[in-house]
Amino acid sequence: MADANAWLVRLQRDDVSGDDALDFEIWLAADAGNAVAYRRALALWHEFEASADAVLATLADDGRKLRAEVRRGPTRRWLAGAGGFAIAAGLAVAVVGPMVSEPSVQTYATGKGQHQRVTLADGSVVDLNAETRLSVSFSGKARQVTLGDGEAIFDVVHDAARPFTVAASSHTVRVVGTQFDVRNRGDDLSVTVARGKVEVRPTASSGRTFLLTPGQRLDVNRSGTGSLSAVDPQEAFGWRSGRLVYRAEPLANVVADLNRQYVQQIEVSDPQLGKMPITGVIVLDGQAAVITRLSLMLPIRSVPSAEGLLLLRK
Amino acid sequence: MVPAGSSGQVEPHGPLLDALIEKRESLLLFLAARTRCMATAEDLIQDLYLKVAAIDAEAEVRAPVALLYRMAANLMVDHVRSAQRASRRNGQWRMETATSLGGEDVAGDLPADEVVVARERIRQLADAVAALPPKMGQAFRLHKLEGQSQAETARAMGVSVKMIEQHIQAAMANLSQRLRS
Repeated sequence: MADANAWLVRLQRDDVSGDDALDFEIWLAADAGNAVAYRRALALWHEFEASADAVLATLADDGRKLRAEVRRGPTRRWLAGAGGFAIAAGLAVAVVGPMVSEPSVQTYATGKGQHQRVTLADGSVVDLNAETRLSVSFSGKARQVTLGDGEAIFDVVHDAARPFTVAASSHTVRVVGTQFDVRNRGDDLSVTVARGKVEVRPTASSGRTFLLTPGQRLDVNRSGTGSLSAVDPQEAFGWRSGRLVYRAEPLANVVADLNRQYVQQIEVSDPQLGKMPITGVIVLDGQAAVITRLSLMLPIRSVPSAEGLLLLRK
Repeated sequence: MVPAGSSGQVEPHGPLLDALIEKRESLLLFLAARTRCMATAEDLIQDLYLKVAAIDAEAEVRAPVALLYRMAANLMVDHVRSAQRASRRNGQWRMETATSLGGEDVAGDLPADEVVVARERIRQLADAVAALPPKMGQAFRLHKLEGQSQAETARAMGVSVKMIEQHIQAAMANLSQRLRS
C-alpha cells in the first residue's frame, strides 16, 4: 500500500505528470490519516531541503575529523546517532468463557443516505453503507452474517474457534480475523480485503473458490465468473468517510451510487453519456456541490426534472 | 483566494477556476513535494491561479480537473529547474548568512540560545544521515542533499531509477524513525 514517503518519492520523478496529481488526490482523499502522515513526512523533507548545505558541511567536517583520528590511531570516539534497540512486547490477556447462549438473529437495515456503525457481540465492527440490509446470527461455534442487497465494511475480531462468514448472493466469504468490504449490488458482487486472509466460496458446489490477500479485490459477475485485481483497499473503504473513489467508472454506475445517498434522484437519459468514464474523488456533502464536482470532471450540466435532476451533455 | 487585480475589476471565473478552488488543498500538498517550504508552495498556487485566470473563462474546457492537474505538474517541473539553478547560485550565500531552524531559514543574527538549538538540530540531522545503511545514505545525499535528479543519482550509483526510489523511501522511513522526538 502506498504510504506517505512513497508518495513523496514518487512526486520527485523527473517525468511527474497530471496523472500523478490525480492519483495523489485519490490517495489523500481515501483516508483522513493519509494527509496527516504526508504532512509529517513533508515537514522532515522540507527541513532537510532548508538545511541541506549545513548538513553536508557537517558530514564533510566529520569525515575529515574521523580520517585525522584514524591516522592518530585507536580512539574511544563513539558513533553518535546509533539508535538503541527497541523491544516490542505484545501482551494478550483476554480470557473468554464458553458461550452457552442460543443463537439469536439480529437484523440491521439502512435507508437512503444513511450510514450505520454496528458493534457485534464479539467486538467486531460493521459499517453499513446506504440502502443495505444485513442479518447477524452468532453461536458458540460460528459467526454468521447474511448481506442482502448492499455494501458493508467488516472489521473482524480474531477468533480461530469461531470463523466469521458473510453470505452474499451466490457466494460465502469466510474469515478468521480481518478487515474487508463486501459490495452486493444488483447482479455484481465484489469483495475487497485490507487486512488478513479472506476465502470466497460459491454457495453452489460448483465454481471456483478464491483466497484473497490484502490489496486484492474479487469481482463476480452475474454469470458467476470471478476476476481478481490489485487495488488500494483505502479506495473501496472511502464511502465510510463520505468519499467515493472511482477509476474509469461509467457515469451511470456513479449516479446509481449517488442515488443511494440522496433522496432527490439523478437521471441520465442519454445512454452514451452514461458510458462516459469518471476518474477521481467525489466528496459526499451537499447534493448540489456533488453535481458541481461532477461537472468539473465531465462536460455535463443538470436541469430539474419530474424525478429530481436530469444530467445532460454540455 | 484573492484575485491579483485591484478593486472594481470583474473577477475571473470559469470551470478551471472553480476546479482550482475545489482542489486547492490537494494541489498545495502536491506542489509542496518539490518546494523548499510550504510558503513556496503557496506561491506556486498563486502562479497557477494567474495562469488559470489568463485563460478565457468562456473557453471550452472538456475536463477542467484533468487540465488543471497537467498545468500543476508542468509548473512543478519548471519550478524545480529554476529553483535548482537559483539554489546553486545562492547556496554559498545562504550558508554564510543564515541558519536553519525547524525547517525554515532564519536570519543569522539570532539570540545565542536559538543559534545553539539550530546547531544542535543540524547535528541531529547529520548524525541521522551518517547512520543510514551505505547505499541508502549515498542515494539520500546525492538526491536530497546535493539536489541531483533521480536519474542523475541512478547514473552516479550505477543502479536503476526504481532502485533509487526504493532507497530514498527507505531512507525517509529510517530518518523519521530516528529523528522522532
